[in-house]
Amino acid sequence: MLILILAAVTIITLDARGGLHVVTSGVRSAASDAFAPVRSGVNAVVEPIGSFLAGSVHYGAVREQNQKLQAEIDQLRMEQAAQAGQAQALKQLSALLHLPYLGNLQTVPAEVTDFGTSDFAATIDIDVGRADGVQLNMPVIGLGGLVGQVVIVSHHTATVRLITDGQSAVGVRYGPPPGSLAVLNGAGSGKPLSADLIPADTPLTDGEIFTTSGLQGALFPPGIPVARVTGSHTGSSASQESVTLQPLADLAHLRYVTVVLWGPSA
Amino acid sequence: MTPRDAARLTLVVFGFVVVQQTVMLDLRIGGVHPDILVLLPIVAGIIGGPARGATIGFGTGLVADLFLPTPFGLSALVACLLGFAVGLATVALDRTAWWLAPVVALGGSALYEITYAALGAVLGQPQMLHVALVRIVVVVSVTNAVLAWPAMKVMAWGMTRSSTEGMPTSDAGVGAAR
Repeated sequence: MLILILAAVTIITLDARGGLHVVTSGVRSAASDAFAPVRSGVNAVVEPIGSFLAGSVHYGAVREQNQKLQAEIDQLRMEQAAQAGQAQALKQLSALLHLPYLGNLQTVPAEVTDFGTSDFAATIDIDVGRADGVQLNMPVIGLGGLVGQVVIVSHHTATVRLITDGQSAVGVRYGPPPGSLAVLNGAGSGKPLSADLIPADTPLTDGEIFTTSGLQGALFPPGIPVARVTGSHTGSSASQESVTLQPLADLAHLRYVTVVLWGPSA
Repeated sequence: MTPRDAARLTLVVFGFVVVQQTVMLDLRIGGVHPDILVLLPIVAGIIGGPARGATIGFGTGLVADLFLPTPFGLSALVACLLGFAVGLATVALDRTAWWLAPVVALGGSALYEITYAALGAVLGQPQMLHVALVRIVVVVSVTNAVLAWPAMKVMAWGMTRSSTEGMPTSDAGVGAAR
């Protein structure tokens, strides 16, 4: 028992200090690669069952939704819903491929396949991986702005830590050019971001946009919109202003994203 | 443990991982998905006692860590402690009692999630205490309580008689679960 506890603590410590992180990252990647075909195959078989169970849990909401959908069927038929959906997806993808602030940076479009394997972290899974040129720590953009950063990458899939995750910290600029520097921290899925390093009584207006700083060694290229200010105040005798921000990308309803093939050394 | 025993146990763990990574990830209740991998150290502790509970908890925790973005080894540590605690707490109880597995799964799962979040915070991830912890505890505990008996039957098949040797009431427990 003691040996097992010591082994677990050792693994955690080495992983956190970086000594074992390359190994654990590789093992996670290998496990993800090995499990992907199994997951895909089993999903094809059991997805209808999962959907049925999910429907059972949300029976009331599903019934209500069903009634609404029934009422809309005729209209949707007239509008050729399938074509409209495809056109919308194409429009989203096209918009993602022509984001003005990315300049000449190479990108890879990706579809969101899952919204997180853990309830304790804000992550998404996407359907591109090493085979598409994706590497660890690459930035991920959605419609509106920055989504997060690749934290696990396997051959054909990757996991992205969202900017709302508590472990996320993004260096940003705000105010008139060249802009002052600050750091945006996540506080958990669905919660607003908070800003660090903003001096007390800094004049900020609601809706003001913060963009990535792009300092040397920064984890993100410069100029990517991240979030807009939703509230700010300075407490009495506080040395910093307390600022809350809303991510510009709709992180709860992501369907397609773009991975920027960029690293701090690029 | 013979290679055949190990293969059976591996098959059980693999089956749980497949179900977790497919059906359970799609089944979100209040934004939270059930976590049936927590059931493994619990039922292993009930059937095999503290030592087997800790060992299987450590192994299944490491497997769970492969698929989670949280610190690697955290699930292994908490599942190891949980398997040991469950084995110790139930060693003197009548393992044929119908209520034992669901009740222990309910309490054990709640304990697991709270300990997981607390240890995560200690390890430099304070946001793990600021998620919807109450919702996570309720969803995971209740679903695991409901699934405790099927899990007992599956794990009893995976843990052979040789792997539960030395347990005072293990024969009765495994037999009942079968």
